[in-house]
Amino acid sequence: MSSQQKPKITLKVNGKSYEADIDLHRTLLEVLRDDLDSNLTGAKYGCGQGECGACTVLIDGKAVLSCLTLALAVNGREIETIEGLAENGKLHLLQEAFNSNGAIQCGFCTPGVILTAKSLLDENPDPDEEEVREYLKGNLCRCTGYVKIIEAVLTASKG
Amino acid sequence: MNLIFHRNLPAYDQYFLPKTTEEAVSLLAEGNKEAKILAGGTDLLVQMRNRQLVPKCIVNISSLSELSGISLNEHSVRLGALATLRDVEVSPIVKKEFPLLHEAVSQMATVQVRNMGTVVGNLCHGSPGADTPPPLLTLEADVKVVGPDGVKTISLDKFFTGPRDTVLNPNELVTEVRIPKLQPNSGTAFLRLTRVAADLAKVNVAVVLRVKNGICEDVKIALGAVAPTPIRARKAEEVLRGNMLNEKLIEKTAQTAAEDTSPITDIRSTKEYRKEVSKVLVRRAINICIKRIKKGEEG
Repeated sequence: MSSQQKPKITLKVNGKSYEADIDLHRTLLEVLRDDLDSNLTGAKYGCGQGECGACTVLIDGKAVLSCLTLALAVNGREIETIEGLAENGKLHLLQEAFNSNGAIQCGFCTPGVILTAKSLLDENPDPDEEEVREYLKGNLCRCTGYVKIIEAVLTASKG
Repeated sequence: MNLIFHRNLPAYDQYFLPKTTEEAVSLLAEGNKEAKILAGGTDLLVQMRNRQLVPKCIVNISSLSELSGISLNEHSVRLGALATLRDVEVSPIVKKEFPLLHEAVSQMATVQVRNMGTVVGNLCHGSPGADTPPPLLTLEADVKVVGPDGVKTISLDKFFTGPRDTVLNPNELVTEVRIPKLQPNSGTAFLRLTRVAADLAKVNVAVVLRVKNGICEDVKIALGAVAPTPIRARKAEEVLRGNMLNEKLIEKTAQTAAEDTSPITDIRSTKEYRKEVSKVLVRRAINICIKRIKKGEEG
């Protein structure tokens, strides 16, 4: 396809199908935040370089960086964002744990952290502290110092 | 050089999702140097965002199913071009056959980047400090390359030509890495030093060692981030090869390896520190290999 066109892509986000006509060079992050009917602004632009993790979303259950993903490259795929975690208003175990452990301050890193943590617990339901630290090293937080975040993930893993 | 990371990527004219390798290669040829390959995108999109690269055409190879997977053959292991760093990290084949490669990949970047980025992409980007080249150099791996003139095999030894520069032409596509299996009585180790958890290496070192009755039958030592390309420390290997292992000889080997380096000073480290740490890491890596061989012998 060429830049003369604005190709239409379809994305399934949190179980709902969306269509958008986009520029070729649009990233998944931009499409989620700006180009869909429900602006899904949970994923954030942090560094644009793949180091901070604020743009993390889940594709096939795997944590990936939406700022380094061309929207065209995920045409037709299923994507999970933070907005899809709670079911019928009931918070996910991780969201509850983050609340109760004081793991959220400004909240900017939180969507990315929680999604990465979800991916960890789906792969490894009972991680130790070292494993949590290692797995989350791609999600930077400037507010909390990480202690409460780690505790929250461990709390959630205990059910 | 101050790079600005723009919010948006630069516009490009064409995007393709070829269904066969032949199609991909012919698209690259048509692109006439202005076409770039997209697999994981973790290097390409970063370079586009800071405008180091402004391609006119993107060729997304993710649909080429023949490039995926990791397979064990009688004499070698094959990593497809689409095998992600994470695929390699969790692969039981890689963990068993090449522990140092498993170690190297496990320490790279972050989980998110490893879910997306590929080993072949890491090789083709050609960064002197990359983490996959030293292990693959010590394992004497080669790459299969498809181009308009057909298929060829390039030894990784001949692959890197300079910082971010490889022997590849813009119209060539690496389809797989082939790694010959290790001989018995081999031990391997990979070590690296960084500033923070997810960072490029100040120095990284890979060693493959084969010992029988206390004599070094063979050794391969490779280092990264200490020269314009990842390097094999061949003079150092000669010091050890064929000789009885002892502390003094290992120290001499490590010292020779450090002399083989030509590091620079940059934001991550100084050339003096890199030279000194090269020696330390080579020494440690050799000792880890020896321990692992002993452990292997004890079963």
